[in-house]
Amino acid sequence: MEIAFGIGVGLFALTTFVYLAALWGEQESRGGLAHWMLGGSLAWWGVLLIVWAARYGASGGNRLLLGISAWSLCAFYMLLLRRYPITALGSFVVAPATVLGTFALLIPNPGAALVASSASWLLGVHITLAFIGITAFTFATAVSLLYLLQMRLLKDKKRSAMRKRLPPLDVLDRLSLRGIVVGFPFYTVALLLGSAFALKIGPNAGLKSAYIFAGVSWAIYGGVLQARLMAGWRGRRAAVLTAAGLVLAMVVVAQYTLGFA
Amino acid sequence: MKHLIVMGLSHRTAPVQIRERFAIPPGRESSVAEAIKSLPGGGEAFVLSTCNRVELYAAVADPAAAQEGLPQVLAEVGGQDAGLLKGHAYIHVGADAVRHLFRVTASLDSMVVGEPQIQGQIKSAFDMCRQQGAAGAFLQRTMDQSLRVAKRVRTETGIARNAVSVSSVAVDLARQIFGDLRKSTALMIGAGEMGELASKALVDAGIHTLLVANRSIDKAVRLAETLGGHPRGLDELDELLVRTDIVITSTGAREHLVNPKQVKKILKARKYRPLFFIDIAVPRNVDPAINQLDSVFVYDVDDLSAIAQENLASRQREAELAEQMVSAEAARYLEGLNTQSAVGPVIKALRRRAMDIKIEELGRASKKLGDLDPGQQKSVERLVDGVINKLLHGVQISLKRSQGQEEGALTVALVQEMFKLEALTEEGDIPINGSAAEGAANEDRRRP
Repeated sequence: MEIAFGIGVGLFALTTFVYLAALWGEQESRGGLAHWMLGGSLAWWGVLLIVWAARYGASGGNRLLLGISAWSLCAFYMLLLRRYPITALGSFVVAPATVLGTFALLIPNPGAALVASSASWLLGVHITLAFIGITAFTFATAVSLLYLLQMRLLKDKKRSAMRKRLPPLDVLDRLSLRGIVVGFPFYTVALLLGSAFALKIGPNAGLKSAYIFAGVSWAIYGGVLQARLMAGWRGRRAAVLTAAGLVLAMVVVAQYTLGFA
Repeated sequence: MKHLIVMGLSHRTAPVQIRERFAIPPGRESSVAEAIKSLPGGGEAFVLSTCNRVELYAAVADPAAAQEGLPQVLAEVGGQDAGLLKGHAYIHVGADAVRHLFRVTASLDSMVVGEPQIQGQIKSAFDMCRQQGAAGAFLQRTMDQSLRVAKRVRTETGIARNAVSVSSVAVDLARQIFGDLRKSTALMIGAGEMGELASKALVDAGIHTLLVANRSIDKAVRLAETLGGHPRGLDELDELLVRTDIVITSTGAREHLVNPKQVKKILKARKYRPLFFIDIAVPRNVDPAINQLDSVFVYDVDDLSAIAQENLASRQREAELAEQMVSAEAARYLEGLNTQSAVGPVIKALRRRAMDIKIEELGRASKKLGDLDPGQQKSVERLVDGVINKLLHGVQISLKRSQGQEEGALTVALVQEMFKLEALTEEGDIPINGSAAEGAANEDRRRP
């Protein structure tokens, strides 16, 4: 099983590389190859996760959770590909999925649940919703980074093959907003359930610090969403804040998966 | 066998002063094609006349005669002396003519390499000549192949990938910022020619609204009418900057019309929506420092020209690849034509050889079988025909399939050798529908 997960991570890494080659190189056909590779990687991971769930149960296991996050991030991207010309976004989406896959491969006790007392249904729902939210935020952040890159290229005023490959600023801005709109409700409910769980188990230093990071990231995404939807805010600042929110959310994920919380 | 021949003038060989004298007036193409057809050995013809070239194409059995007649036809069209063509006109025959047509159709011989109009121009010129009956099957096949090669060149190389004019670069950049321009509003300030061209390119790209502002409202009204926009006074500039996405400036003002302070003030009102300045004026109308502001992009005429030049250089690099592709395609096409011209006679000779054997053998058999009634004779003939047809069917299919293939010539040679066809192809016609009676007569003639 370890070898199979290793191959899965390798496939994601290779796909990231091909997407990067398509972004930088002159040959547009590489984009098509990368899409096929991503489809293959998703099929591989899909089978792996089903086998893993059959072994450890559908609700348990850090590896399952991280694997599903990586898989759904890429699947969401492939769905959007049908509507938007976002081949250039590929490496920015598959690279975080590779990181999540690597976490899934390397974490100690991959078959164990995230927190020892996971028997609580409250915690199970909390973790699932949080991961859905974070997956959507990861997508929004990938798009925002691309927005910043495209803006830089346009400001530099030089002829660039990459600039032509990247989606228009307006499309990137809308996709980033869509990612936050999808993720925020899940993340909000996850945080509420997490607070209820924290109150239930009493004082815990690790949990407290994770909760602070999660709270700040929630506030950032809430602020960005409010400013964008109510005041029509957009552009560089929104992109930077979207990325900052994800960094804080990932600190929380790292605390749990690496066992600090 | 027909040979393609082309004679003409292009922007590469003749200045406009010469080209304009020989330009073929619209509507006269088919009469010129008819004149080409009436040349000695003339078979098919078509005529191409654009602002960059005038070319007469013909498919003829005798290229030498056509070479002499074509300059005369072109001279007569323009009412000019044929001597004027000396040093400016070119003539290509056979393989060179096919390659030339492929290059022209693929836009490799255009003034701006990769421009898309030439294919439409060639197609409509050819259609006109075909409808008038001047162009036939040979030219149709060559033209179809030429358009196929052009499509391949456009999709497999980058010769048409990047914009090469200032206006189209501006439109490309606007698309990279706003995506779908059908939702964007553009503001044109001033009445400069370049600004007008850029505005027109945006209108052609489907911009939602075009506003035209000028110090003189009358001028704004006139320009707006020309471009299909809405006139505005320049005193409304701040308000207009809040509303628009793309601003094209092309005034003769000596100082900046738009400064960073002014734009900074409106950015909040715009909710940080991107704003794209295309400053085509010299001296510049937009302070370049504005490019430092968030979500604002300023491109002046040098920035746009530099991108256009780099794109052009990139097209030239891709053109080298396209040239190789066109040469290979032309060679393959000609080889296909040659094989096709060899396959027909070989199949004919093969059938003749079979019929010869049939007549001979039936004659011999009729002597041995004695008197057969007509019904029996027919049955025997049908039996022999069936055997011949079944035996030759596979060989004929292989020959037809070998047309245009690399091994085509080898297949033809092999069949000729196997069935001893060389001598037969040189003989006179042998009756195809031979009968037992004829066979018997032949048999008698052969006996001493």
